[in-house]
Amino acid sequence: MRNVQTVAANTFREAVRDRVLYNLVFFALMMIGAAILVGQVSIGIERDVIVSLGLSAISVIGIFIAIFLGVALVSKEMDKRTLYALLAKPVKRWEFLLGKFVGLVMTLTVNAAAMATGLYIALWSVNRAWQASDIHILTAVYLILLKLAIIVALALLFSCFTTPFLAILFTAGMYVAGLLAGDLRTVHGVELDPGTLQWMRGISYVLPNFENFNVMGAVVHGRGVPAAFVWQATLYALLYTAIVLAGAVIVFSRRNLK
Amino acid sequence: MNRRAINGAVLGALLLAGFVCVWHLQERVDRERTKLQLESDELTLRSPTVMKRLSLEYAPLLGAVYWTRAVQYFGRKHQAHDTNLEQLWPLLDIATTLDPNLTVAYHFGATFLSDAPPRGAGQPDIAVVLLERGIQADPDHWRFYQDLGNVYYFDKKDYLNASKAFEMGSRLPGSQVFMKIMAAKIAAEGESLETSYTLWLDVFQTTTDKQVRKNAEVHLRIVKMQLDLRALNQIADLYERQTKRRAASIKDLADAGLLSGQPVDPERFPYVLGLLGRAEPNPKSPLRDEWMKEKK
Repeated sequence: MRNVQTVAANTFREAVRDRVLYNLVFFALMMIGAAILVGQVSIGIERDVIVSLGLSAISVIGIFIAIFLGVALVSKEMDKRTLYALLAKPVKRWEFLLGKFVGLVMTLTVNAAAMATGLYIALWSVNRAWQASDIHILTAVYLILLKLAIIVALALLFSCFTTPFLAILFTAGMYVAGLLAGDLRTVHGVELDPGTLQWMRGISYVLPNFENFNVMGAVVHGRGVPAAFVWQATLYALLYTAIVLAGAVIVFSRRNLK
Repeated sequence: MNRRAINGAVLGALLLAGFVCVWHLQERVDRERTKLQLESDELTLRSPTVMKRLSLEYAPLLGAVYWTRAVQYFGRKHQAHDTNLEQLWPLLDIATTLDPNLTVAYHFGATFLSDAPPRGAGQPDIAVVLLERGIQADPDHWRFYQDLGNVYYFDKKDYLNASKAFEMGSRLPGSQVFMKIMAAKIAAEGESLETSYTLWLDVFQTTTDKQVRKNAEVHLRIVKMQLDLRALNQIADLYERQTKRRAASIKDLADAGLLSGQPVDPERFPYVLGLLGRAEPNPKSPLRDEWMKEKK
């Protein structure tokens, strides 16, 4: 595991050097702007907007980082030919992939933690008081991180067998499809034969169901998330990430790097 | 000054001139648009279901955006004295479909929809639909029943349903005692100034929104003035019964010992008696104008 740790630490360091965390400045400015503006242009939704805007930004910015950096994790190393030097050392291919994955998830965790802090500061500046329900925001951020981990795994998988451009398209497509996966099981208003319906049902389970991590609607209105839901979502993310990473390792191990 | 600096200055000046032109051009386009009476807030996507799909997992944020659009639309129309509020319901429909728990959109949206023009859209039936949707989304929120009761009571003059709404709300956990009082009062006597005062007082005491609180305060003053006028007319009637003639001024009532002094409205303007001997607000009182607006 030492090799995985080393690759992960270097991946994190590289992301920081690449000024990935500069997005936090944008996030801070956006939250300050929202905190000032919303109270003046709307009625009664200051807290709702701060929370929904903050969580949406954590999610959207995280998705961008997960997709673009996730795809670049392997392809950049190959383009720069640093991968060959690395694999010539006693580092196995799966260790390299797992290290890259952990490194980027670490980056995303630091990013999300900083944004969550910013979100709480904005919330304080609007309300000048804490509410007990504010703690649920952390649950939403945690679930967003789980979602981002799956996206990073998908980006890694796709980047192992296709071009960076196509890998970005595939990952983004999987994200959108994953948000609508649940709908495939409950299609209304169209006449479909039972065979097609079974197919759609099957596909809905193969696709990553990102709705499992979407609790924004409840958290924005100060409602808690049941512990059982969080545990199940955590297990789902772990299982799905493990499957995708295993697939990525298989593809990457068989890839001819000459 | 070297050549590079001159070029920079010329370029900067050109850019500035360009933006000034763009600014003026935009103003001209805006004027033309006003002439054409184009609806700049035209909704491209009217289907809430499609909007919900397109919003991916960010429906609560988009719901807040649409609610803000509804507020801005209503405010803009109100300011322009434009009573055509046909886009209000589609905006509220989308906002509440995107975020069914957006309590504030049901609460204020129903007020915007139900109030008679020029204050609102004059669509109490749609306000009822909106509030029933809110009740479906959050059946334990007793305030929705209060809003529903208000719409039935004030805008639809449907006292039976108003009483039912207040009564149903009064059974929910956390509801305030006035809900029961309202249900009973409306069922028993229909429209009354006391009821109106109770309602506005509750709004005044419970709202955290400055504008709504101010609005409730104005209404409380108007209702207080109406109550005073009613009492003064009762005294004037008594005076007429005693003296066989109608009082010409408030002073006549005071001289007869029926009043202890000159009564004033909540803005400290003295009440007057009109030509027919009926009590009226002082023509100089700002409350009179507010009252006239209400009556319209």
